[in-house]
Amino acid sequence: MKGLTHRVIESMSQYFACIFVPDFPVEALLRAEPELRSRSLAVLEGKAPLQKVFAVNENARRAGVSQGMTKLQIEACSGLVLRARSLPQEAAAHAVLLDCTQSFSPRVEAVGCDTIVLDLAGLQPLFGPLPKIARALARRASDLGLESNVSVAGNPETATLAARGFSGVTVIPEGKEAEQLGSLPVEVLFENSTQESAHLLETFSRWGIRKLRDLAALPDVALSERLGQDGILLQALARGATSRTLVPVEPPLIFEEVVELEYPLVLLEPLAFLLGRLLEQLCARLEARALATQELRLSLELENGWQPEDPSANNGETGVPARPSRAQARQSFQRTLRLPVPLLDPKTFLKLLQLDLKAHPPGAPIVKIRLAAEPVRPRAAQNGLFLPPAPEPEKLELTLARIASIVGEDKVGSLELLDTHRPQGFRMQRFAPSEPFSPQRHPSTALRAGSGTEKNSSHFSVQKNSSVSPCLRGECDLVTALRIFRPPVDIAVAIQDGKLAHITCPRNKAMQGEILWAAGPWRSSGDWWEKEGWARDEWDIAVQGESDIALYRLVRDRLGGRWFLEGTYD
Amino acid sequence: MYIELHSRSAFSFLEGASLPENLVEACANLNMPAMALLDRDGVYGSPRFHMAAKKARIKAHIGAEVTCELFSPQRHRDTEKNKNHKAKDSSVPLCLRGEFRLPLLVSSRLGYQNLCRLITKMKLRSAKGEGAVCEEELRQHATGLICLTGDDNGPLASTLAHGGIEEARHCVEQLANIFGRDNIYVELQRHFHREQEARNHAAIEIARSLQLPLLATNGVCYATARERELCDVFTAIRHKRTLATAGRLLARNSERYLKSPQEMQALFADLPEAIANTVELSSRLAFTFKDLGYEFPKYPVPEGETMMSFLRERTREGFQQRYGRASSDLQSRARCQIERELKLIEKLALPGYFLIVWDLVRFCREENILVQGRGSAANSAVCYSLGITAVDAVSMELLFERFLSEERGEWPDIDLDLPSGDQRERVIQYLYKRYGERGAAMTANVITYRSRMASREMGKALGFDPETLDKVSAAVSTWEYRDDNDTFDHRFRDAGLDLNHPRLRKYFELCVAVQDLPRHLGQHSGGMVICQGQLDSIVPLEPASMPGRVVVQWDKEDCADLGIIKVDLLGLGMMAVLEDSLKLIHDHHGEEVNLAHLPSDDPAVYSTLQKADTIGMFQIESRAQMSCLPRLQPKYFYDIVVQVAIIRPGPIVGQMVNPYLRRRMGREPVNHLHPSLEPVLARTLGVPLFQEQLLRIAMVAANFTGGEAEELRRAMGFKRSQARMKDIEARLRSGMESNGISREAQEQIVLSISSFALYGFPESHAASFALIAYASAYLKCHYLAAFTAALLNNQPMGFYRPATLVKDAQRHGLKVLPIDVTKSEWQCTLERSALSNQQSTSSTALRLGLRYARGLREDAGQAIVLQRAIAPFVSIRDLVHRVPELRKDELNTLAEIGALNSVGNSNSPRRHGGTEKTDKRNKKNISISVKPPDTSVSEPALSEVEGCLRGELALHRRDALWQVERAVRNSGPLLDELPEPDTNSPLHPMNPEERLVADFRGTGMTVGPHPMAYHRARMEAMGIHKASDLSRIPDGQHLRIGGCVICRQRPGTAKGFVFLSIEDETGVANAIVMPDLFQKNRLLLSSAQFLMVEGILQNQDNVISVKAERVSPLSITRAETSSHDFY
Repeated sequence: MKGLTHRVIESMSQYFACIFVPDFPVEALLRAEPELRSRSLAVLEGKAPLQKVFAVNENARRAGVSQGMTKLQIEACSGLVLRARSLPQEAAAHAVLLDCTQSFSPRVEAVGCDTIVLDLAGLQPLFGPLPKIARALARRASDLGLESNVSVAGNPETATLAARGFSGVTVIPEGKEAEQLGSLPVEVLFENSTQESAHLLETFSRWGIRKLRDLAALPDVALSERLGQDGILLQALARGATSRTLVPVEPPLIFEEVVELEYPLVLLEPLAFLLGRLLEQLCARLEARALATQELRLSLELENGWQPEDPSANNGETGVPARPSRAQARQSFQRTLRLPVPLLDPKTFLKLLQLDLKAHPPGAPIVKIRLAAEPVRPRAAQNGLFLPPAPEPEKLELTLARIASIVGEDKVGSLELLDTHRPQGFRMQRFAPSEPFSPQRHPSTALRAGSGTEKNSSHFSVQKNSSVSPCLRGECDLVTALRIFRPPVDIAVAIQDGKLAHITCPRNKAMQGEILWAAGPWRSSGDWWEKEGWARDEWDIAVQGESDIALYRLVRDRLGGRWFLEGTYD
Repeated sequence: MYIELHSRSAFSFLEGASLPENLVEACANLNMPAMALLDRDGVYGSPRFHMAAKKARIKAHIGAEVTCELFSPQRHRDTEKNKNHKAKDSSVPLCLRGEFRLPLLVSSRLGYQNLCRLITKMKLRSAKGEGAVCEEELRQHATGLICLTGDDNGPLASTLAHGGIEEARHCVEQLANIFGRDNIYVELQRHFHREQEARNHAAIEIARSLQLPLLATNGVCYATARERELCDVFTAIRHKRTLATAGRLLARNSERYLKSPQEMQALFADLPEAIANTVELSSRLAFTFKDLGYEFPKYPVPEGETMMSFLRERTREGFQQRYGRASSDLQSRARCQIERELKLIEKLALPGYFLIVWDLVRFCREENILVQGRGSAANSAVCYSLGITAVDAVSMELLFERFLSEERGEWPDIDLDLPSGDQRERVIQYLYKRYGERGAAMTANVITYRSRMASREMGKALGFDPETLDKVSAAVSTWEYRDDNDTFDHRFRDAGLDLNHPRLRKYFELCVAVQDLPRHLGQHSGGMVICQGQLDSIVPLEPASMPGRVVVQWDKEDCADLGIIKVDLLGLGMMAVLEDSLKLIHDHHGEEVNLAHLPSDDPAVYSTLQKADTIGMFQIESRAQMSCLPRLQPKYFYDIVVQVAIIRPGPIVGQMVNPYLRRRMGREPVNHLHPSLEPVLARTLGVPLFQEQLLRIAMVAANFTGGEAEELRRAMGFKRSQARMKDIEARLRSGMESNGISREAQEQIVLSISSFALYGFPESHAASFALIAYASAYLKCHYLAAFTAALLNNQPMGFYRPATLVKDAQRHGLKVLPIDVTKSEWQCTLERSALSNQQSTSSTALRLGLRYARGLREDAGQAIVLQRAIAPFVSIRDLVHRVPELRKDELNTLAEIGALNSVGNSNSPRRHGGTEKTDKRNKKNISISVKPPDTSVSEPALSEVEGCLRGELALHRRDALWQVERAVRNSGPLLDELPEPDTNSPLHPMNPEERLVADFRGTGMTVGPHPMAYHRARMEAMGIHKASDLSRIPDGQHLRIGGCVICRQRPGTAKGFVFLSIEDETGVANAIVMPDLFQKNRLLLSSAQFLMVEGILQNQDNVISVKAERVSPLSITRAETSSHDFY
């Protein structure tokens, strides 16, 4: 409420309607499954196994299900339908609500995802008297799959309170606001449960103020002395005596281009031509509004039921899949390009899209192309005069995209070491140089570069070298690097008299031979509380190759029993 | 052969995952002849380790890992460099904090004493869990200790990591210099780590260069590899992380389990001398706890006296006082008994102990602190003569052997009951002062993982959200009786968690595994140990969290196992109540009541007991006691002794209660099992009710000596050793056989001994308690106001909530006045009653103290009292200004409970002259809703609004709330001086329901009518009877009762039956719920505040209850009444 401009109404010439959807998360889901409306439905939120009830419909409420109960607790409730909360469906339901109200009035304000207020000025000649408009609004929402409360009043706040408090359609005539709102509980004044609102509610409860009429009846000055301007504002709300300017929803900035094709496209080249054209149009539109984009969404509608004549002949084509059934199942194909910085260069975009489509072919002939750009403010950057130049973002993106198309998307980026005993525990992060480019690297990445080498700080040999580790002597200039095989090389190990004797590698003859000596096992295990627990033994071994002796790290997975070479020592 | 010489138990608190007993068991299974336990900075687990090892015939070596500061010069460098790390962040490695852990093994008694002193020095100067010893202290206390170079946190690893091999060599040389070259071993561990192996190479090189022996250990943290999981969880808890975020703080693998000699030999095949040295070192460790060297302090006696002669003299003096006016027969028996006891005391060299306890009792008497010995000490005529106990052991023919016996080889155990609170603290401080800081200490109380803590901490470590953890904790049952469904499984399901999920399964497994493992060390409430000379050479001492207290590292069982005498100074709430009552009686009535000289045959007391009207009385107030009293019909003091003892698990399980009561009522003939037992069982009508009787039965029927009989009780009770029990039972049977006791009688005797050997009371103990019970009954009957005020001032204690105590007192005619900031003290007080009340039999009223205003801090409460003494508060604004300690929430609570209603009143008419309009509105409300429909109870708070109108009260509660809100709002200097505006509030006065809600929320009780009183007409329409009507309804009638549930019980001995106490405005009714009805209505019966119970009335010998057939919730009030649920 703070920050909004309120003034006590002097004359009523305007009317506002408010549409409110109770149990919004449930209603959002019911749009897709209206047959569940007559059943008890609970919407769950959270990750398994700790899902909890987020919202319920009236039937479920009557069956004793309430917010916060766990999945297991409500599973025993017969006839209860459970659904996971769907944010996309809620967003869609909100969009529908906006559409619905915008079809009545151009001046519409989204008060919350489940509450929309609209200005009814000038609508009476078009739609008839106020009750009729309200009913039409409720009916329209119902036709769109959302059951709602609608109210009409002389100011947005009163309309909102009435929609939240009264079910069905309510029309509050001019001058009757306080009287009509009076029977509502004071809780309707507090949309969100903040600490401040909880405190005020507690004060009202102590004072015995339960209904809005009780609050409205308190003397203004005395209330102000006790609760300050917050109290006065709440009282004005309770009396239905506020007014404010509507903050209408602006029509979204949508940058989208669509092409429907007369003939299905099979080859990438003509697709690139069309994409180039679309990109130029999009970039021109963005430029006209002094905007750039950081996200491009390509949506290709594919021909249904098409099967390639020769599944293997996909070279240079849009990439017909090896399994025809996959093509049949697909109806649309979507790719999203996210860029680290806002760009506005159609050529770069085209190249990126080409590289992406090469790596991820759509798999069927294309009948419709839809390309959308997410608008953002363009980058306004100037590097420091004495700082080394950073790579051009456009070029960097292209380079990364090229690498990704060769090695795979999850294999490009910066390394982040994880705090774990699990060997090579790391995750990939998207590569993004800091701006301005700093010569200091992240300490974790400085430890192990992405070159796949690892410093083996403890240098010793069980059988031959009894000398102390140089590091322990403070002479760390001698280090052994481990060159890691990615992926590791599976091998077979022969054991004689309990000792490692020989390794055989079916895939690489050079990696086999007699084990001359071995140090180990070095044993580690962890994550036992997860499904992905691990346990392994490692040895450092010297193998007599054909020409010389090679040093390897040999690993046995103690859970799976697999033997493999993890790397070689330089 | 290999011997493990470096292991930690769960007594390293969150660093080890196995109990000492489990380590010993694993050691025995591996055929290892000895093992050493080195817990972190203490010998916490050593007594249990020692006892378990003794049983398993394994040699238990004692030692500890002691935290030390790094030696100079590293110390200075490191501590300077890492000054910031040294703060409490436990995730920083020790070496970075400039510390290491030195494993020390004890080779001689001197070594043990040095270890204890070393740890004590460190502990007493630092905060809990912190501290390190310095090099100098090590030098002072090195004798008799053998030092190892340690593992990852040891000195060698720390210096190696920091300064390289030369610094490490220097450090080891220093250690050799401190402990002697023969007393240092270079320790090697192999857990399959690369870094550790590198360190081992360095260690071997250092050992060879310094010609020191190598020693293989496994740095054991748990008995079996499986327990590594628990150890990881402990690590996470210790570092306040979850398992997922603990990362490399967790163990790398599961190798720190107790390995077999074969495994260790294979691991160290290249270094056989490291294995061989373990055996050699073990043979050097001569010290065990048999050689502890504990000696009880000597009592200082005047020159020319010995302790024994001094004790004789004190006993003689006491004899004159106690038996001076007794019959000559009793005198001669007492003299004889005392002489016998003194001889035994002399023989066992215990006069010092008796004198010290006598001295304590004397101190209490001099300081006017109530004190009474309890437990088996009351079996001693010497204790009675010395004034330690109040029970005449001779006239009651109590068995001395139960207290002290030559054969048993155990120290006597004297427990003293003292008033809980400050008085007890004074006695404790007296002991400290008298025996020195290092001569006396409290025993520890090891806090172990129980269901709630386990589920909370394990869940936290697994990263579950607080809400889920709350649910699991809340689902943990607190009933005494646990049925088959009451398992951890079910609790998880009750909390809505699915055990089929692997992560939850793991959670469940961890909760089960961690049960009973120690979490941290607390302080026992009253156990004190004292020692001749330095207690810190017997056991390390630590500071307790309470300032001025020192606590030993062992709990009372450990102390008893190691033969350390303890004195239990137990705080008994009822002793404090008695003491406070006497003071109130003196202050208010000007009467002196001497508890030692109460009339023993007060008819009012016995009449009250016979009616089971015993709420608030010591030991005889529970539902079970109440259901026994009308049948037992106590007429003499000894009946109270029986009453106290009979409602115990032993007699109940042994099915002694009903036979005794039937025989007492003459419905069953008295049978003494065997004529020879008649003298033993005669006074309990042939039914053994006391432990002493069991001992005597064994002595009479099977020719056991006193000591043997006591041994029998312990063996039967604890069931520690099947073999030992069988052996004693065989001796018992053969003895009975030779005395010609029939087989049938033998079976009965064995059954009665085994069924309640552990859970029965000693007669002496029952007699001591009966004295207190009688005193409490006497005070309640004759000084109800003072007794109730004292009870309320000593809460929490006893069986009932304050709300029940107040209602009971009101039913007995006491006028209870609400909290009033113009009159209430911090504690509840007595006032002359201003208004005469029809039901009030006394002119004394009880004024509730400010302590009952929930959330009001004592300093704020005391500030109100202080300011009020200076000048009365003229307005709420005046109160707020003059008592700035009061927070807004406290003022709101005070206003809400009506405690500000008379502020500014000063017995004058309504100060601000309320407008006619307001008064009219109030009047209208009264006529509509304030007056409870059909209630016969008329109490002060009911007429608050009426009082307000009559001008007795300046404000009603909402007026006060309205004013408080303005008074606390900081209006700034500009408006601060503005005159106070009209104080009329536009708010409606609270209706009775709102007042009830406010009363219960703000004070946990109401002094107004019982919530049921407002609904009596409705209840009558529903056919619900009042509690007071039940005695007039014939047995077997089907009826309904209803009211507030004040107590729910599911006793372990009652096979799943649930007992409910249901209170209405006329009294308390009892309902019995069968297990199947409970299962069907579990949630309702466990949580509903107001219940209607429908069933059959049972009235057997005036014991009235309703056997429930149907239960349903009653809608009475939203007020949050509470019940006592898991007794």
